[in-house]
Amino acid sequence: MSKNTSKLTRRAFLKSAAVVGLPMIVPATVFGRGGRVAPSERIILGGVGIGSRGTHDLNWMLPESDVQFVATCDPQKSRAEKVKALVDKRYGNTDCKIYHNTPEFLAERTDIDALLVTTGDRWHAMASIMAMRAGKDVYSEKPSSMTVAEGRAVVETAKRYRRIYQTGTQRLSEGNFTFCNEMLRLGRLGKVHTVRAHIAPWDAAEMRHDWLPAQPLPSKEEVDWDAWLGPCPWRPYNASYCSGGWRGFYDFHTSCIGEWGAHTFASCQVAIGADKTAAVHYSYVPNESGDGMVVRFANGINMVLERDMDKKIWKGSCGVRYEGPEGWVAAADGYSIPDVSNPAMLGDFRKLVYDYSARTQRPMSHVRNFLDCVKSRHQTVANPEVMHYSMTTVHAANICMWLKRDLQYDPIKEQFVNDEQANRFLSRAMREPWII
Amino acid sequence: MIKQRTPLILVAAALLFSAVTAYGQTVPPASQQDELIAVLNAPDASRQQKAAACRQLSFIATKRAIPTLASLLADPDLNHMARYALETIPDPAVNDALLKALDTLQGKPLIGVMGSLGVRGETRAVAPLSERLTHQDPLVAQAAARALGQIGNAEAAQALSRAVSGAAGDTRLAVAEGLFRCAETTGGPTALGIYDRLLQLKTPHQVRAGALRGAILAREDGLDLLTTSLQSEDYILFSSAVQTAIEMSDARVTQVLSAALSGLPADSKILILGALAERGDPAALPTLVTAASRGNQAVRIAAIKAMPPIANAAALGTLVTLIKDPDAQIVQAAQTSLVALPGSAADQAVLGMLERGDPESQLQALELIGQRRMTDVAPALLKAARGNDAAVRVASIRMLGDLEDAVQFPVLIELLLGARSVQEVRAAEQTLSAVCTRDARPLPGQVTIRKAVYGAVGAGGSADVTQKVADMVSSGAAAIEASNASFGDPAAGVVKQLKIEFTANGVTQSQTVPEGRRITLLTSVTPPAYVNDLSAAMAQATSQQKRAILRVLRAAQGSAALDAVRTAMKDSDADVSSDATSIFCAWPSAEVLPEVLALARTATELKVKVVALRGAIRLIPLENITDAEKLAGFKAILPLIQRDDETRLLLGSLAEIPMPEALAITASYLDNAAVRNEACFAVIAIAEKMAPNNQAQIREALQRVLKTTTNAEVKKRAAQVLEKV
Repeated sequence: MSKNTSKLTRRAFLKSAAVVGLPMIVPATVFGRGGRVAPSERIILGGVGIGSRGTHDLNWMLPESDVQFVATCDPQKSRAEKVKALVDKRYGNTDCKIYHNTPEFLAERTDIDALLVTTGDRWHAMASIMAMRAGKDVYSEKPSSMTVAEGRAVVETAKRYRRIYQTGTQRLSEGNFTFCNEMLRLGRLGKVHTVRAHIAPWDAAEMRHDWLPAQPLPSKEEVDWDAWLGPCPWRPYNASYCSGGWRGFYDFHTSCIGEWGAHTFASCQVAIGADKTAAVHYSYVPNESGDGMVVRFANGINMVLERDMDKKIWKGSCGVRYEGPEGWVAAADGYSIPDVSNPAMLGDFRKLVYDYSARTQRPMSHVRNFLDCVKSRHQTVANPEVMHYSMTTVHAANICMWLKRDLQYDPIKEQFVNDEQANRFLSRAMREPWII
Repeated sequence: MIKQRTPLILVAAALLFSAVTAYGQTVPPASQQDELIAVLNAPDASRQQKAAACRQLSFIATKRAIPTLASLLADPDLNHMARYALETIPDPAVNDALLKALDTLQGKPLIGVMGSLGVRGETRAVAPLSERLTHQDPLVAQAAARALGQIGNAEAAQALSRAVSGAAGDTRLAVAEGLFRCAETTGGPTALGIYDRLLQLKTPHQVRAGALRGAILAREDGLDLLTTSLQSEDYILFSSAVQTAIEMSDARVTQVLSAALSGLPADSKILILGALAERGDPAALPTLVTAASRGNQAVRIAAIKAMPPIANAAALGTLVTLIKDPDAQIVQAAQTSLVALPGSAADQAVLGMLERGDPESQLQALELIGQRRMTDVAPALLKAARGNDAAVRVASIRMLGDLEDAVQFPVLIELLLGARSVQEVRAAEQTLSAVCTRDARPLPGQVTIRKAVYGAVGAGGSADVTQKVADMVSSGAAAIEASNASFGDPAAGVVKQLKIEFTANGVTQSQTVPEGRRITLLTSVTPPAYVNDLSAAMAQATSQQKRAILRVLRAAQGSAALDAVRTAMKDSDADVSSDATSIFCAWPSAEVLPEVLALARTATELKVKVVALRGAIRLIPLENITDAEKLAGFKAILPLIQRDDETRLLLGSLAEIPMPEALAITASYLDNAAVRNEACFAVIAIAEKMAPNNQAQIREALQRVLKTTTNAEVKKRAAQVLEKV
């Protein structure tokens, strides 16, 4: 199993190219491995749009002995430079390369096997699709999509090009949440009737449609504003957007429901065996956030959206709680152990988590699960379908709040039932040329 | 006309105000359509206003809005937002407008309109889109290819098939994507033709991989192509074939994958073994067993890891054999798989190892029993606990304490009395103690929380959680967990503990547990029969065994256990009586205080006097009496204290009594260098609680602290308290 048929390494080639003044657009055949990552080989990793959350992900990936991070791409120069500094410090060299244009980056770096996509929400699906079309495997931050149509496109693209994809819903690979899921799956709670999913206790379901005041556009080298906007409607530049101020805007965000629901809906749907479907009925609640909304799945289980402002249900963020006739279990961030209705339930904690890992071959490390799957070509725990269907429930809950009425959804047809207006929200026309 | 329109625009602008300001309502009433159209037609409306109008129209627009929206398709600033609204309108007139715009637009606006036609699946667009597959602008050609793919009919597929050979680079990729989309829509022979065509072409790896998947799955019997592809030297095709095999429900696939293994490189074998695990077909087991038994280490481990998902009893024998493998990593992998293998057959195999194996196997079996959390294993464990190997005996006795299905208590005592080594005695003692604690039954009664503190074990922050715990108890909690979830995090990043002093049924107790553990706030009682059995066993036990039984009695608690300890204090064996005295003086409840005080006064042996004094100092604060009475108790034992260690303990207890006399006593030790530090702390603690009374005495004591101490922290605290006086 040779790692590369070319004796010329990428670094050596780049050095020689620089000396003789060759253009830096390097043909794929020079260092491309043709998409192969065998189990014994190292994974060549790149990044797109790595900011604070992406750096967190990257810090999980860099210590993995079979990962080599080589380049980052970002329309914001300052962010790309921070990533380069971090990576170069880790490796003790200056090799990490910076790119600002995603299509050029993808075309040039055929040596890269997998991409860490941690842009703002508006770009997650588009960047993932572009990367998978270019033959890369993808670890994308959540949410996986802004609309149902985007989520479906991610599913189809991954399938079409045989790509491995994982969303950064890391709680699907954490012991406390896994224990809760297994308790439910094994029937230890009886026939579960209700699950509760935490939604973010800030912001609202209705989002901003306004524009922030226009500010002088920086040079394209500093911030490529057109690329930053990507497929979203144009609006004038304001620096606030680029430093996280995009949250809460309809064009860029999925509301307080999507902010945590991307995690908690996925956990709940995996737990109740609804990871290949979305909720079928959505009951409107007359408040600003969707707090208390009940969504029902075809298997009869209700999922209640909980803002939990007074922390009566959870003491941490992104909580889930499963309730059955035999008891309840709950988990949230920061718990040393899951919360349970009866301490005796915890007796099997280690065994249940252990058995889950052995049965599914999935470790309690979300990043490691992705890297393992890049090599084994197995489905990840947060694979495109799981994420598409859980995000569909998020999108439909948002639409229910925007339309202020109950909705019925058909997960097979991926359409609302007898509701032409609700179906208008399933996709948004993308700004050219960023069209799926 | 203008006169009529102007007010409408003003109304629309007012309506839009809410749409372009924070947290506007997403969906406007359908009745606003005309106003929104008017905004789009108004020459003086801003780009923001028009964009907002398009967005709102996307939710409510009907056929009436189409002409106005279509007129914006040529506007480079509003082309996208016009499509944003048009794409959602169900009326087919939208398609007419988009088709018409195709002929007039160039560049990005053209790309946008082609994309919208694709989204809407307009078959009349196939011809004009096909013409643009060879457009000089590659972005236009690529958009045409993808839009044709979305329309996905036979004509679109034909156009794309014609174009694919001549397309290069990214355009070839886009045409391939168009073809994939057509195949996904049409299925059947058309799809098969497309996949085969893509396989034959020189395309990037991801296209080859996807085409192979399609070609295998689209065939009525894809097994031949799967078989051929598994022999491919192209790793992309090979791995795509393996990946596709996971999706195939045909039972013959297992055989095909198994047959392909021979002669492959290790990496390829690992891929196939993973696929066999993922498919979960028991027919794969012989292949896994062979691969696990010999050859490349990584391949063997992959085969071993593949066994639990298949969960077949036939895997057991192999795994049991492999845990004796000379390669430690193989042993580790086999053990991991054995733990995870579900079912009673696996349990039986593990029990077989315990009953029939050599000592090494027996020890492995015991570990597996624990990890698998097996039940109904008491008879096998008892047998092993009476066996010939010392290490097996000790491990078996220890494990008996973990069992929920209780072994008879007298049987466990028999094991203690039959113990052949110190280790066995110790193991039996731990098991008996664990069973006493486990089987203790709570006594219902009133619980009063006296004090609760959650915080760092060593230096660091802590929080007084007395009220919180009291609230939890009054809400019905019988056990309190030491965790951040319960009390917040007073000392981030360090290990914490929870200490609760409480009174239950009139008995005051103090318990401390580390983070993650629980304190049960009830007095509990071990079954009386257990204590009787333990007391009876003392008569036949050796000195070493008696000392172990005393420690078990300490775990059992209760008045009967205390009586047994009292009796043992008079045992003729000096070691036994000494241990009994120590345990008696360390008894957790205050009922023993009078006897402990008497011992402190009368004991002639220094060791006994010391344990009694220490016991008394610990027990006096637990009594349900006033501070004055506690102080009187401490004063009574003060003359008996001869060593600095006990003086330090006493100072620590006096620190909790905010009385002038306690302050005077503690201050009197400030000149004693050996205990000065503790005296300083005690003075400050009392002063803090006493202030603002007895100011002169407090001030003088604190000034003495400041004068005598060299500890900067103590100085700082004393100065702070002094400032408040």
